[in-house]
Amino acid sequence: MAANARPIRLLRNLNAKIAAVPMILTALVVFVGGSMWTVIYSFTGSKLLPKKLLKWDELFAIPVPEWIAKDGALNFDIPVGIVSRSFVGLDQYERLWASNRWIISIENLAIYGACSLVLSFVIGFVLAALLDQKIRFENTFRTIILYPFALSFIVTGLVWQWILNPEFGIQSIVRGMGFVGFTFDPLYNQDIVIYGILIAGLWQGTGLIMCLMLAGLRGIDEDIWKAARVDGIPMWKTYLFIVIPMMRPVFITTLVIIASGIVRVYDLVVAQTSGGPGISSEVPAKYVYDYMFQNQNLGQGFAASTMMLLAVAVVIIPWAYLEFGGRKRG
Amino acid sequence: MARAVTTNRKILNTAIAWGVGLVIFFPILWTILTSFKTEAQAISDPPVFLFFDWTLENYAVVQERSDYMRFLWNSVILAGVSTVLGLIIAVPAAWSMAFVPSKRTKDILLWMLSTKMLPAVGVLYPIYLLFIQLGLLDSRLGLIIVLMLINLPIIVWMLYTYFKEIPGEILEASRMDGAGLKDEILYVLTPMAVPGIASTLLLNFILAWNEAFWTLNLTAAKAAPLTAFIASYSSPEGLFFAKLSAASTMAIAPILILGWFSQKQLVRGLTFGAVK
Repeated sequence: MAANARPIRLLRNLNAKIAAVPMILTALVVFVGGSMWTVIYSFTGSKLLPKKLLKWDELFAIPVPEWIAKDGALNFDIPVGIVSRSFVGLDQYERLWASNRWIISIENLAIYGACSLVLSFVIGFVLAALLDQKIRFENTFRTIILYPFALSFIVTGLVWQWILNPEFGIQSIVRGMGFVGFTFDPLYNQDIVIYGILIAGLWQGTGLIMCLMLAGLRGIDEDIWKAARVDGIPMWKTYLFIVIPMMRPVFITTLVIIASGIVRVYDLVVAQTSGGPGISSEVPAKYVYDYMFQNQNLGQGFAASTMMLLAVAVVIIPWAYLEFGGRKRG
Repeated sequence: MARAVTTNRKILNTAIAWGVGLVIFFPILWTILTSFKTEAQAISDPPVFLFFDWTLENYAVVQERSDYMRFLWNSVILAGVSTVLGLIIAVPAAWSMAFVPSKRTKDILLWMLSTKMLPAVGVLYPIYLLFIQLGLLDSRLGLIIVLMLINLPIIVWMLYTYFKEIPGEILEASRMDGAGLKDEILYVLTPMAVPGIASTLLLNFILAWNEAFWTLNLTAAKAAPLTAFIASYSSPEGLFFAKLSAASTMAIAPILILGWFSQKQLVRGLTFGAVK
């Protein structure tokens, strides 16, 4: 019996491995490969987009091994502008951190990230708790509240660029109602421009967060509410100490979605302000992009994006340890 | 299941919720309304709400300036094919994770999801170079591959949560009856998971449809989808708000209509599948 069971289990695992191979391969090649490339070139003084194309053996001064050359595997052109291989050590990083624009970008991302995280959670949860009390036409309501999520950041940015425009947006409406002194022009005020972007971001993302939280709330057993009521526990306490801890898996999902939204703030900034006024609404992704594609200073762009990768890694790795490493579950 | 509430509370809650809903929907409504105004009315002070001369002139101008159907077609192809391709890769992967979990399954899932949190711009240049090398710039094929890749983690993750719901005994029984790997996935698992797969399909279609970063950077004219179409109206001449609104409305209309008719799958795709 035991001798029989073994090969079957092996076969099962083999099948599983085969099934997972395409996914793992694609993920590996693209994400790990791409990231490694970025990190390595952040230490170079690479300046230009590829201008000259060389063959493998010209570039590395190593003849292509015969068995490879036969099927022409390495017989493609390699862009050389980038492979200037002038290693400059940490120079790019020094320049990066001395740059005012980079500092502003980081600050903006920090403000946007923190506010978006906290506000999405709070607003999403409050709306979900409200909706959990069974309102009328719930399905229609949910669809409407999800609509913003179905719009791209580009459209979102354009719509809000206009609503927040002082000449014919909210400001002019409120002034038209008689409040002449009313001022609300976040996109044109250097100090608060990032909050103008935040409003649009929240508008776009909160509906989804709410729906996730609602599903979490619905998943909680009615008996728990009854028990809490019998014990005379006030409602807010039930939420805070019983319901919220039970919704932990939902919160993790939500966190992933909010985080990927924060990373994508680039689209929103480009559509709403293009980094203006001045450089007051720059974000790191835009810094990277501009240096790579507009200033053609690749090394600097790579240094910036390496910093971004590093920052994400710093956040994710400890969290991953806490979540999955600490206690081995299933 | 929620708690029982009194009728008064229910009406109050409904009113509050619908107030919120209205606020949330207002920007979209305003955009659609503005697209029917003349330029002068679009920026009139105070703004006119419903009582203006409805006109289709903006749509005509937008259509004349850029061929809407071509962008729409590109969007449909890109979002559709990349989603289907993603499913083909993800179904076996999710199957193996859900039914033959190993010690590392959770780690792999987490690692995959974490790639969603990485800034896309970090891999933009390598992919850009790759695209130059392979001649994929501004081609539908290239974009399909990229869109498929960036949404793959979400597809695998969603399918994984759906598959987990299906009792493994059924698959085991089919295996006993002599079903091979292919048959097991294709004829036993997939039919049972159809609702889950539909939701996954829908959500990822929308995500791919809206993807702006990659589509803007890797396309020029040939393969540009609707995101590029709308972005082309945002530039310096952004002061033509009525035309901009018309372009926006045209860009969002397909997705709003699709969303409306598939409410159930959409909401479920977004909630149920992501929660467990």
